[in-house]
Amino acid sequence: MTDFDIGKGKTIGIYAAVLGVLYLAIGVIEVFGGAGDAIPGDLFGGFALVVIAATFLNGVKRSFDGEHIGLSFIIGGLFLAAVFGILYLLLMGANGLMFLLGEAEEFSVLADFRPAIWLFILVLPLAYLAREMTKEVTW
Amino acid sequence: MRDVFGEDPEVILAERRYDAIAKIMESAVRKKESKWTFTDMLDHVFLHKALGIPIFLTLLWAVFQFTFAFSEPFMVMVERFFGWLGGFAAEGIANPQLASFVADGICGGLGSVLVFVPPIFMLFLALAILEDSGYLSRAAFVMDRVMYRLGLHGRSFIPMISGFGCNIPAIMATRSIENEKDRMITILVNPLISCGARLPVYVLVGGALFGAAAGSAVFAMYVLGIALAILMALIFRRTLFKGKPAPFVLELPRYMMPKAKTALLHMWERGKEFLKRAGTIIFVVVILLWFLSVYPWAATNGGEIIENSYVAGLGKTIQPIFAPFGWDWTTTVAIIFGFLAKEVVVATYGLLLGVGEESVGDALVSMGIFTPLTGFAFMAFVLIYVPCVATIGAIWRETNSWKWPVFTMVYLTVLAFIVSGLIIGIGRLLGFT
Repeated sequence: MTDFDIGKGKTIGIYAAVLGVLYLAIGVIEVFGGAGDAIPGDLFGGFALVVIAATFLNGVKRSFDGEHIGLSFIIGGLFLAAVFGILYLLLMGANGLMFLLGEAEEFSVLADFRPAIWLFILVLPLAYLAREMTKEVTW
Repeated sequence: MRDVFGEDPEVILAERRYDAIAKIMESAVRKKESKWTFTDMLDHVFLHKALGIPIFLTLLWAVFQFTFAFSEPFMVMVERFFGWLGGFAAEGIANPQLASFVADGICGGLGSVLVFVPPIFMLFLALAILEDSGYLSRAAFVMDRVMYRLGLHGRSFIPMISGFGCNIPAIMATRSIENEKDRMITILVNPLISCGARLPVYVLVGGALFGAAAGSAVFAMYVLGIALAILMALIFRRTLFKGKPAPFVLELPRYMMPKAKTALLHMWERGKEFLKRAGTIIFVVVILLWFLSVYPWAATNGGEIIENSYVAGLGKTIQPIFAPFGWDWTTTVAIIFGFLAKEVVVATYGLLLGVGEESVGDALVSMGIFTPLTGFAFMAFVLIYVPCVATIGAIWRETNSWKWPVFTMVYLTVLAFIVSGLIIGIGRLLGFT
């Protein structure tokens, strides 16, 4: 017996798999020195993206099978993606403030728009789907 | 039982006891909610055997990245305020000794410590959010697996986590450990957990030397502290306190969405201790340091030629001990006075380098006091060497003996020299200067 509708499980499973692969690819690039301004090198930041990727990918198969453990990993991945997306947004704000204070020579929104932020934006539709599936769930 | 189940009998008994409780709950308690909760779901992930520790390290890194990078603009604001106040005092006070006392002693010395109010409060805010969400107990649970395998007690990790704030309440929290050997090990390794007072040193030196990677350098210090605490606990378990650790049963709270008001209150409760210290012991030590750095008044030309001061004489006498690390007499003085309170390390640089608060970090580089290698070794030394005098007092009270505080000071100093020496040695082998 499945814990939730298999069709929904497959939809979020596919979405999580795509996100997992994206997080993994970008995380590995960051760990190994980055690629241009779009993906700057960041050892620990890259490691964090790899951990988020592993969390998403861990949930893919069981989501396909309609098991709630699969959904658990996807929700765990969503939490981590949100933590890092918000963290880099805050850091972007701090860099903007440093520019306003005259401590930084330039402030470029594009340069500060780190992969963790745009990946977090890509994660939002999955968060909506997961929320729909867990409306009845309490803390 | 061990042969049949391949686990410690006490652990099996604890697991079976909780299984029985769960079964009774299942039949006796009727719940309205769905068959699983967010707490169950998130525990599958955060307590996962393979992912649990990487997730913990990742979140810890996020905490320090937030602490360092997000507090930077606020530190600039505080720096500017004290810079303005110091300039105002220097111009407005006619008596040169009094002007030096207010501008250099109070504004320069104390200001260089208070500049670190933003990162300390940010650290406590981030830790409060993790604690209020219910995650910190999970971190203890996750670490227990590693610690138990090493022969350590899982409960030891809770005082260790408290040690991120301040080692004194963390050492007092070991009273909850019933087994005397487990408790002694936890007390002895607790000073290795980096407290909030050491953060200003990491932020100052890391920020000056590592640029964008400063957050990671700070994180590395915290991870080094945890790793050394585990290593030393293992050594103590195998030598001084032989035996098996008692099993660890921890009731995990539900996950909760942290409330802003509660998190801010927790931040304030912990952060105000730093402000209290700044107004008491740090203030007194800063005044003492100022005195030693400007007198004899004639010889230093009113604090202009610091090389002729009492403190320079003291630093230069002891400096040969630290010469192999490439540290000069100012760093020697910072280490000596850091024993009274770790925040004094940054105040020492604020006073001795003769620059405004906003330039202390730059001066550390431009005056050649540190290279990235020697600076990193210094950060590790500050993490490890003798804890502050108040922590030594707490160890004395909790162990009711002078033997253990003295032992702690000796082993930590030896360990600090070994680790910093290894950092310098390995770094030089890798081609760093």
